[in-house]
Amino acid sequence: MARHNMGTIVSFEVKRTLSRAGFWIATLVVPVIMGAVIALIVVSNTSAADGANSQERAQFTFTYSDASGYVIPAVAEALGGIPALDDEQSIADVKAGTLDAHFAYPANPAQEPTKVYAVDEGIFANGKYAAIASEVLIASAQAAIDDQSLATLVRGDFRVSSTTYKEGRESAGLAEVIPPLLLLLLLLFYASILLMGNLMATSLLEEKENRVSEMILTTMDPTTMVSGKVVSLFIVGAIQMAAIALPVVVGYLFFREELRLPYVDLASLSFEPWPMLVGTLLLVGGFSLVTTTLAAAGAIMPTARDAGAIAAPVSIVPFAPLWAGALVLSNPQSFVVQILTYFPYTAAPTAMLRNALGTLSAVEATIVIVELFVLSFVIFRIAVRLFQYGSIEYSQKVVLKAALAKRE
Amino acid sequence: MDFDGHTVLRDLSFDVERGETFGFLGANGSGKTTTIRALLGLYRPTAGELYVDGRRFEPERGGNLGYLPEERGLYKKESVINVMTYFGRLKGLDKHAASSWSMEYLERVDLADKAKMRVDKLSGGEQQKVQLGVTIMGEPELLILDEPTKGFDPVNRRLLLSIIEERRQAGATVLMVTHQMDEVERLCNRVLLLKNGVAEAYGTVSEVQAQYGGTTAKVAFTGDIPDSSWYRVMRRENNYAELDLDEGVDEAEVLRGLVQAGVSVRSFVTGRPSMDDIFVRVYGGHDEPEAV
Repeated sequence: MARHNMGTIVSFEVKRTLSRAGFWIATLVVPVIMGAVIALIVVSNTSAADGANSQERAQFTFTYSDASGYVIPAVAEALGGIPALDDEQSIADVKAGTLDAHFAYPANPAQEPTKVYAVDEGIFANGKYAAIASEVLIASAQAAIDDQSLATLVRGDFRVSSTTYKEGRESAGLAEVIPPLLLLLLLLFYASILLMGNLMATSLLEEKENRVSEMILTTMDPTTMVSGKVVSLFIVGAIQMAAIALPVVVGYLFFREELRLPYVDLASLSFEPWPMLVGTLLLVGGFSLVTTTLAAAGAIMPTARDAGAIAAPVSIVPFAPLWAGALVLSNPQSFVVQILTYFPYTAAPTAMLRNALGTLSAVEATIVIVELFVLSFVIFRIAVRLFQYGSIEYSQKVVLKAALAKRE
Repeated sequence: MDFDGHTVLRDLSFDVERGETFGFLGANGSGKTTTIRALLGLYRPTAGELYVDGRRFEPERGGNLGYLPEERGLYKKESVINVMTYFGRLKGLDKHAASSWSMEYLERVDLADKAKMRVDKLSGGEQQKVQLGVTIMGEPELLILDEPTKGFDPVNRRLLLSIIEERRQAGATVLMVTHQMDEVERLCNRVLLLKNGVAEAYGTVSEVQAQYGGTTAKVAFTGDIPDSSWYRVMRRENNYAELDLDEGVDEAEVLRGLVQAGVSVRSFVTGRPSMDDIFVRVYGGHDEPEAV
């Protein structure tokens, strides 16, 4: 019966959470903003590229002076340029409107700006002058390199393959691959807290606010009820994470180049089991601790508003490791980082960050994981007790001492 | 049962027989709801337990018990049918059975057209009907109903009482908290009157009536009711009075005495004291009847 009831509770809770408009508004606001940003970047990059191309193709006459000696006349001529006899005269012609543009290349274009003088054709159309001035110099530089491969290198169009060693052994290139995946776990942890903090805090409050507690408690065991609530929070959290991750994946797969995201060769990914396992356990343990704590807080408070007062600090404290991020990176054995590693509500994110950076030892990982799961279980039992004996205190806070001190 | 160092219930013990309707009565604040919550494990009593069929009550086996609490409530943002089906499933019914039972019940209480409405869109009375349905679904063997007809109009009150009575006739045992003494006289086999945390009276309705006076005379009259050693005036309102006759006093002698004293008697009806009278006597602050 308990298992049947738990399945019923999970199904009921998940369905009704997913059917709420508020849940989807909160969930989709992040992906929608991300999608909008991606769209803006893609559109912006595309139009910029199109603009540059069209500007480069735009035909206009220009003169140029070249103090550097880098400009190849044939290249400039192909783009519509002729050497200037006198800078001052060319500038005067531009001012008079008898010449479209004049470019003055300095002695050292890498150090000094190339000066462009041109007839104003509007903010957007004016871009063509700088585009052509640059194109003349780049094409001339590339033409000066006889070797095509060298020209390719100059453009930065090449790949690097790294092999790293740790304690004399090859570390399988995971330094590149694992940290992003492990940091993704940390990101998921923070996203879940930010998006689900309120849901967690009100999960056990709802029965009280709706005055359903007495009917629930005389129908089933409170442990089953609280377990069902926690499991449903995990499922809802997973759905929420998927909804958030989807635009990231779509953005990477279809708009990687427009977004200028680094290329990751998925075929070459090799997963080192230990850091991944540690990261996953830390994620689950940290999520469990926050969930049970907020659920217990909800069981004490008479209203969602009151529960929010507890939910806020419990949701904020896990972000402390980010404030001390530099210290976590540079000196993981420092006193502050050690405190953050073992204090329950900062332990999961700190350990996840250190795990991603490879500075979390096996012993430390074991201690933190055990701590998170044991504390989660203890607080879960407290939440059950508070729900059992506190959920019919409809209009007042539950007195913790009274609820916990009494016999079973 | 103690609260903040104050003893609320003391040595309270009673049996509810299988298949009977038991009235658990008391004034506001006398401890009725506390007793029920303690029995059900919602409060932790200093001592004491609820046994159903000789077995200690466990919420996990909730199919045996239907409880309508004093604090009414349902998942307000869910549809009526969803809430009923959910509770049906928690009581062990499969989804189809819970859903079809719920629809039948909603038909019965004239709410079928509101099955898909959100609970908070229903009136208070309609929500109570739904809650009673949730309470009795799954055919529980024991029904504990805390003021089941509170807030109902006479028509719906009669409907709900008939549903409760049907459940009893189908074999359910009903423990009912109510302040409606006419319901008690009509439905209850036995009653317990709780006062100051102890059982003030406990037994069948007849036994309790006998305990609180042998014979009561209800008199409609004009004039003044004289003092007499044969009776005590329990109640006097305008031209109506209730007299508690002393044991062994002849009812005809009392009537004759009134007439001889110049009282114009329009009606004189004797019988047991009503539960309403007994309730007022026990909880009305008139423990000592007015001497006449």
